[in-house]
Formats: sequence, C-alpha cells, structure tokens
Amino acid sequence: MKSYKKLFPIFKKNPILHYLDSGATALKPQMVLDKMMDYYTNYSSNIHRGLYPISEKATGEYEAVRAKVARFIGAKSEKEIIFTSGTTDSINMVARGLGLTKDDEVVVEVEAHHSNFVPWQQLATIRNYAVPTGRQELGIRNSTKVLAITQVSNVLGEIKDIKNIIKTAREINPNIIVVVDGAQAVPHIPVNVVELDCDFYCFSGHKMYGPTGVGVLYGKANRLAEMNAVRFGGGMIKTVDFDNTTWADVPEKFEAGTPPIGEVIGLGAAIDFINKIGLKNIMEHEKELVDYLFNKLSEIKWIEVLGSAKQTNNRIGVISMFSNDKRVGTSNDIADILGRKFNVAVRAGHHCAMPLHTKFGIETGTVRASLGIYNDKNDIDELVKGLQEVWMTFIKN
Amino acid sequence: MDDLYKELILEHYQSPNHRGKLMGGVEAGEVNMSCGDSLKIFAKIDGGKIIDAKFEGGGCAISMAAVDMLLDKVIGMKLVDVKKMSGSEIEKMMGVELTPSRKKCAYLGLEVLKKL
Repeated sequence: MKSYKKLFPIFKKNPILHYLDSGATALKPQMVLDKMMDYYTNYSSNIHRGLYPISEKATGEYEAVRAKVARFIGAKSEKEIIFTSGTTDSINMVARGLGLTKDDEVVVEVEAHHSNFVPWQQLATIRNYAVPTGRQELGIRNSTKVLAITQVSNVLGEIKDIKNIIKTAREINPNIIVVVDGAQAVPHIPVNVVELDCDFYCFSGHKMYGPTGVGVLYGKANRLAEMNAVRFGGGMIKTVDFDNTTWADVPEKFEAGTPPIGEVIGLGAAIDFINKIGLKNIMEHEKELVDYLFNKLSEIKWIEVLGSAKQTNNRIGVISMFSNDKRVGTSNDIADILGRKFNVAVRAGHHCAMPLHTKFGIETGTVRASLGIYNDKNDIDELVKGLQEVWMTFIKN
Repeated sequence: MDDLYKELILEHYQSPNHRGKLMGGVEAGEVNMSCGDSLKIFAKIDGGKIIDAKFEGGGCAISMAAVDMLLDKVIGMKLVDVKKMSGSEIEKMMGVELTPSRKKCAYLGLEVLKKL
C-alpha cells in the first residue's frame, strides 16, 4: 500500500501521530502550505481595484480558484461559485438568502449535521426528518419549499444516491429548492453538481486538505439571481447614494468585505493536490483501509458500528462505533485512552448530529474514526491496539 | 495501570454508591450535550446540611465516578460550604490530574450541586 505521509509536514514533528479525525478536519499537505505562504510572503495585498502588480497578481490567483472550483464540481460557470467561510456559512447564507419564514416548509434529515438542520429549524418550519430512501419517506409535498440533504453523513459515512433522491423530489414538486451538504463528500468522491441537479451545493476547504476559514457555496445561476444578499458592505455593491444601493453582479454580490484571499488561494492548491493524487486513487486507498478496519473490528465483540453501511462500496472512511458493554465507559473515555496512550486521534460525542444519535438511542455518543489519504494500516493497527487497551482498563483491570 | 482510570474511579463508575432517586427533597440537573453527559442530583437538606443525596443520569466514567465520589464527600456537609468548593478539590478528591477537556467531565457533579 502506498504511503502518502511524506506529503504532510505535520508527521515530521509528530511521527507517531495516528490521525483518524479527518472528518473533523483534514491535515494539510506541503503544497497547500507553500502556496499560502507564497501569497502571504510575496504578493500579500487586497484583490480587485488594486492597480499595482502584486494586487493584480492576487486578484488573478483568487479568481483562478473560482474557475478551478467550478471545474472541480462540474459547475457550468465560475459565476456560480461563491466563496464563504465554510459549509456552515454557505448553508446559513442560502437559508437567509431565500428569505424563508415560518410559513415555508423545509424537509430535513435525521442524519443531518447540525449545520444543515439548525438554520432551517430557526428560519422555517421543518418536517419529516426521516432518512429518505423512497418516494413516500421523502415527505415532500407540493408546498415544500426546500429539501436539505447530505451527500455523505459525517457519522455514518454512507454515500447516498442523492441524484435519485433529487430526481424523485423534483417529480413530486418541480419547484423545490435542493440544498446539498457536501462537506464529507468532496474530499472523497467525484462530485458533479449538474449531474446531481441540485440547486445549491455547500462544502468546506479544510476538510479537503485545504485551509480553515474558506468554503464554497455553489448555486445554479437562476437560483443565485433570485437570492437576496445577506451580508452588506464593500465589494458587493454597484452604486451607493444616500437613499439607495444597487448590488454588484453575482458572485460579488454575495462576497461583502475582504474575502479570505490567502485561504481561497490555499483551497486552489488543495484542489490541485486532490487532482494530483487522483480521486480514483484516493477512493481505492480509503476502501482498502475501510475493509481492513472492518475486518479488525469484527474481532472486537464489544464494539458495534453505527448504521447499516458497513463493508460496502457505498461508503467513505467514516466509522462511528460504540461499546455494547455498559462496564466500558462512554465515547469520551474510549477516545481519551486512545489519544493519551496511543496518540490515536479520534472524535467522541455526537459529531454535531444529535437527532441521529437520539434515534439510535446512543445518547452518550460514539467514537468516530475518519480516514484521509495519509492513513495506513499501521494507524488502524494502533486504533485496534488502543481499543484492546480500553477493554483491559475497564474489565481486566 | 492507567494513570486516569484508577481502581477507585472504576469502582465508583461501575458500582456507584449513590445511584437512584430521592423524593421530597430538592433537585437540579445539567447536560453536557457535546459529549452526551446528563446528570440529575436529588438532595435532602435539613438545617442547611445535606443529609442525603442521590444521582441519576448517564455519561463517561470520569463524570459519573466524580459525582458518586462527590456525594460521598458532601453528605453531612453544609450546602453553603459545598457551594464554595472549587474544581481543584475535585481533582484532589479523585487523586488524578485532568486534561482541560476532562475537567469539564469531572466538574459536572459540582456544577449541579451548586444549583441546589
């Protein structure tokens, strides 16, 4: 199995780090750091209307990433790409920009990350949070305004056939606005927003080997044309006089203030990184590790994996597990021992998906291991060793 | 043996002394939702003194052991004195040093007692 660890400088300082928390944030490859350092060191300046060479360069690099993102997710035009601060920001921007009120109905999912749940709950009336698999379960009516779905759950790791779900949703209600949380999908599988036929698609830079503080909101051109600006200030206006302001064209209309320039440029390098490795190789690498992990976990009788997407091709390397033996502590205790004694980095708790954990009756949370391209079988072995130690700590002490 | 999950802590977690409910007293609760801990403490107070206390809830070994040990300690104490207790006393009581993220777990019981 190929090792990609040397591409990530963090392992120089932390050679025994077993990082299994990529679902929270992915580690950064040297080429992303170099690209950002280059901006901050050599042409740090604000974009747009700086009539001097380094500003022209910064504007060029920034806008080139917009086009790169468009190609990466198969958008028709770079004008459909808005830079935000992350997935949460993207979803909030849509939810507010659509001008929803409590009279509007939004269908959300039980497995949604809180960021694709709470904004809708606060602004509109939500219903049906069932996992939509068939036409009835979708819970969509003629009057439903928005369907908010997740392509890959950050807890279950299952890749949903959202193309079909969206198709079904449009058969029931042709006017429905479909908003997709793609945060966990984009780093792991190829995405094409035109094929999916979604209206909005949201993701973050930092989960795809890029920097924190930058994300993307893709919107179909006609949807963005109808959407209200929700943040006001410089850069998003055409004309301002005492009584009136007119807005700049899309996408600038939605990018008020100085954007995260260095982070957008870093995001561009992250896309280059993914393209360089190749999503096909990323998927194969992760699949081999997932199979290896499930094989190992099947020998640990007291560990159960949440959800039904077990050893299948329809999942990414996000595995949430819990102890079925009450004598063993909760996810917090397990993660503590893994981290403190084995340098195995996992996440404990609800992973921002409380309704899902409540549905499964696991109020004290799960331990989530999530994979990235830098992981190898040794990382999995250490995780398993750590789990055995957890058992010894609580039972055979 | 683990530095944190010592025998004493495991004992209180796996065989607590004060699990249960008390009727006719006062009660308070708190949730630590990011990790899934939830706790309710019931207490009988007479002349400003805690004469009996029990707890209900679910959570990690550290939070549940801490509250059981804490109730061992505070039964018989004046409530005003309990409310003056600090987090470092919890660590002393447990005989362990806690990382910042585990302090939140261990202090949950004291937090609830302070609401009584």
